[in-house]
Amino acid sequence: MTHSSAQSLNATHVYRRIVTPVVAGALALVSLTANADWAYRGDVSLQLRAFTDNALHQADQSVSGSVSGNAEFNRPVGENGSFTISPFFRYDTHDENRTHVDLREFIYSHSAESWELNVGLGKVFWGVAESNNVVDIINQKDAIEGASPEHKLGQPMINLLLLRDWGEISLYVLPGFRERTYPSEDGRPRGFFTVDSDNAEYESSNEQNHIDVAARVSGAIEEWDLGFHIFHGTAREPTLQFPSFAPFYYQMTQVGLDVQATLESWLLKSELIHRSGDNITDHIQLVSGLEYSFYGVAESDVDIGVVAEWLYDDREEQADTIFQNDILLGFRFALNDEQSSEALVGVIADMDGGAKTFTVEASRRFRDNLKLSLEALIWTDAKDDPLLFQFAQEDYVQVELGYFF
Amino acid sequence: MKALSIIPLSLTLLAVSTGLAQAETAEERGLAIAIELNANNDNFADSTASMTMTLINRAGKKSVRRMRSRTLEVPGDGDKSMTIFDEPADVKGTASLTYSHATEADEQWLYLPALKRVKRISSKNKTGAFMGSEFAFEDIGSQEVEKYTYKYIGDDEVNGIPVHKVEAYPAYKYSGYTRIMNYIDQERMLSLKTEFFDRKDKLLKTLSLDEYEHYDGKHWRANRLEMVNAQTGKSTILEFSDYEFATGLQSKDFSSNALKKLR
Repeated sequence: MTHSSAQSLNATHVYRRIVTPVVAGALALVSLTANADWAYRGDVSLQLRAFTDNALHQADQSVSGSVSGNAEFNRPVGENGSFTISPFFRYDTHDENRTHVDLREFIYSHSAESWELNVGLGKVFWGVAESNNVVDIINQKDAIEGASPEHKLGQPMINLLLLRDWGEISLYVLPGFRERTYPSEDGRPRGFFTVDSDNAEYESSNEQNHIDVAARVSGAIEEWDLGFHIFHGTAREPTLQFPSFAPFYYQMTQVGLDVQATLESWLLKSELIHRSGDNITDHIQLVSGLEYSFYGVAESDVDIGVVAEWLYDDREEQADTIFQNDILLGFRFALNDEQSSEALVGVIADMDGGAKTFTVEASRRFRDNLKLSLEALIWTDAKDDPLLFQFAQEDYVQVELGYFF
Repeated sequence: MKALSIIPLSLTLLAVSTGLAQAETAEERGLAIAIELNANNDNFADSTASMTMTLINRAGKKSVRRMRSRTLEVPGDGDKSMTIFDEPADVKGTASLTYSHATEADEQWLYLPALKRVKRISSKNKTGAFMGSEFAFEDIGSQEVEKYTYKYIGDDEVNGIPVHKVEAYPAYKYSGYTRIMNYIDQERMLSLKTEFFDRKDKLLKTLSLDEYEHYDGKHWRANRLEMVNAQTGKSTILEFSDYEFATGLQSKDFSSNALKKLR
């Protein structure tokens, strides 16, 4: 923890200065070649959040609003290549950190008979679980956007994929590190203490320029899907230093596996990792559970899925994550109607302290291009939880209207 | 030695099959028609097509879904198929991959573009509505002879065309149907109409297949399918266009990695 914060401050700002013009340039590039055959998809969404309690911290707004845009443009390059650009932006009325732009993807892909090479800014998903994907290590989380694994910062990468009959081997060189995003002092919901993300520190003297490496082998054997991985480099999840609350990004080696068995209506899922490093206690994290679906409940078109998962960290009380010994129980309702109406109701309960996080997500399509989504997050029995007590007054309801193209 | 022994063997077979033809049961005749119908559909190697699905509710209000599909024929097993959704826009880029099997459970994956995630999903859900339409997953899946048992019912007419009536009974225990009545064009051996009976043996849906086209002089395909739900009054029209056959697709084009690359 010896390196000056001035450097990382600089790096963050340089990154912002680079990413903004690159996003603008990418959009200009797409519009200039608009008559070439770009495939595209995306949305522009308006979001309103209403907080039900007064905050324990200085951000005292009871309502905040934001507008965001997501797009993915893809076009073939020659016989075997393709190029993908996925810009993102959000403007937030209160939180300056949530007002940000990013390139989720800016990547060239070359496909051959038995291999594929991807070079650029990419987005990769690993994992099988529903509550938390502990194996999903390649990209930094755009945590200020929410907990869903779709919110990720574009990761600089050179990725070689070897395709085999039984599955694939994926090798990564990851030059350049992205810092996790956190709410500013004016943002909600947030913890009592704001993370000093402008003063991040690094174990590696190369800071954000440390080159990380990773490999994953994955494949399917009948109803079993298996993945093994190893990662060496900068942890995506920092430890927070006291009393500055500046993130500290340590070096680590992570090995892990993910497995899913698909047995008729039952899905059995597990993700397991082991992390080791000079600046952390070596530990394992586990997410393990099952999903069962009832199709066409009571002669209707409604499907109901039940998800139960156990989240465990063997450091137990010493764990710096909120999932040290927790149970997720979730119910997914799909009406299978014309409007694709869906709802997800879930609770993550701490088996040690008793704190509970309730989530409700629901969505419904309107006309052909609009979708209305509702989300609510409620924390209960959190007063005595060493981390979650900070969120006891941060309950909110969010309404989002998206236009899709 | 072998070449010699074939002659008497095939003569014997001929004698046996002639014998069967005389005393053919309704089940045997039904199966024979199903085999002929299926053969008419097979041997295309691979195909690609665009689809427009129009959902019409009881009040006559329409909503449209568009998608593209590619199919690979797997000799001796069910087909491999991929579907990519273009409309409605909120599901644009979502794609599914299915390895269907004649008698075992199908294997199925879903690609979620916002997450870049390929998710293996349960294939048990055969009775569910495909994209909120009147087509159930089992109606649009790969049709294999082994998925049903059959019975020849008799002859009839559909729009003045002489047809065979063959009833099919799903072998799959989670099927939503007790029986499916097929009306098969006697001359061309093509399905013109299908009636689906629910678990209570009441008429649930009627499918009409129209605008048959003889692609490349080899492959008969109906370009317009209309499914009418007799119990709810809702209907769905499924129209196919841009059919192409033997485009050179291979097994590797139907992998989970290929699913991610589909646009």
